[in-house]
Amino acid sequence: MIPVNVVTGFLGSGKTTLLKEILQKPEFNDTAVIVNEFGEVGLDHILLEEVEEGILLLESGCICCTIRSDLQETIRSLQAKAAASEIPAFSRLVIETTGLADPAPIVSTIAAEPIIRNHFRIGNIICTLDGIAGMRTLRNHEEGIKQIAVADRILITKTDMAEPALVSQLELEAHGVNPLALIGHSTGSGFDASLLIDEDINDPAMRAAEIGRWFDANQLAQMKNHKHAHGHSHHSHENTAGLNSFVVEYENPIDWTAFGIWLTSLLHAHGERILRVKGLLNVAESTTPVILHGVQHVVHAPMHLEKWPGDDRNSRIIFITKGISEAAIKTSLTGFLSLAGRVSSFSDEAVGVD
Amino acid sequence: MCGLCGLLGITHWTETSAHTDAFTGNTRNTLRAERLHRTRIVNAALCPKRVRISDFQATSYLLSSPTGKSVIVDDIQAVWGAFETLTGSILDPLDANYLETLKQVSQ
Repeated sequence: MIPVNVVTGFLGSGKTTLLKEILQKPEFNDTAVIVNEFGEVGLDHILLEEVEEGILLLESGCICCTIRSDLQETIRSLQAKAAASEIPAFSRLVIETTGLADPAPIVSTIAAEPIIRNHFRIGNIICTLDGIAGMRTLRNHEEGIKQIAVADRILITKTDMAEPALVSQLELEAHGVNPLALIGHSTGSGFDASLLIDEDINDPAMRAAEIGRWFDANQLAQMKNHKHAHGHSHHSHENTAGLNSFVVEYENPIDWTAFGIWLTSLLHAHGERILRVKGLLNVAESTTPVILHGVQHVVHAPMHLEKWPGDDRNSRIIFITKGISEAAIKTSLTGFLSLAGRVSSFSDEAVGVD
Repeated sequence: MCGLCGLLGITHWTETSAHTDAFTGNTRNTLRAERLHRTRIVNAALCPKRVRISDFQATSYLLSSPTGKSVIVDDIQAVWGAFETLTGSILDPLDANYLETLKQVSQ
């Protein structure tokens, strides 16, 4: 499976500079690149395809089936050309979005399209954040905030030109929007490419380390926001961008089927407001933990971790949402999961089974 | 589902079992039993809304309204959109009134 990295970031935040930089690194040899538009910074000597932005909504589908037909065709054509030796074979694909684009439909395109999903897998979503103008983006531009929220890696750019205090503040702010993403710095040249591509959740060798980091980062975020001056404590953190992140814990082993039913209904009704879901689940049918990983309406196929990362056997699900409370999610989850135990005692007629 | 999806065996994540060795050995549920369990839980969730689903040939689900209108869907994800088509309303799993009614299901 060829990993696909999505490079997103607000207008002028340094996406193309980043691309230019990383494509010179040995880790990014054999990389094909798809860009939405050619920026001012030229990208030479690499596989490059341009794609016009367009959205296709499948007639029978819900919003989670929003796919970009243009992107689909470009990826298929790249693959066909590589197979026919018209272009060199590539082992990684990088897709650069426009500054105002929502990265979620790109993820759903790769996850939903039957041919593409059998050859490509989503790698880290990398978001660039302007070290100088980033604070303005986070305060004023919803697109920019969303790009940060769905990212796996955030790269604060132009740190050589920005005040260190401002960069630190920006880092805190970005961490508030997305406590799960790793944050790195870039001065335009010389940065750690492994920060951007390693510990990818879809890479079995890196999975355990990434999971460990998710929950560790979240613990830190909780600790930071745990105690307030007004004396109470909670697990939720609402930031200036209006997003809140929290972790829902569930003590008993969960019924996987009931959980899937609950999550699909939740994402159908509120997917626009649930930017990320990441979880480590104690599933009744399995002795090993199940990893859950979703971007808006798209939930990746569940994966197994070989062993539990610690002694805690509670299911933990981290949400980054826009205005949905932890209590509402927990009540709803508990309500649906309790159905699983109860239906087994119902008669077939009572639950509508013929 | 189009023919191509069927050919490539595309499977929604809710249709996969959490158990790595599911559907094998004597103690595991059969595919049919898993689908039955799924149908039962969805029906319990839809019960307050007077809509029900039934398993259709172990390949699809048939969603029916009290007036007899029905929609066929491929997987659980599609149930919620079909519910809207049938009833003209959205099923909100965060709605406190709905969750309260859910507690009363078959009690």
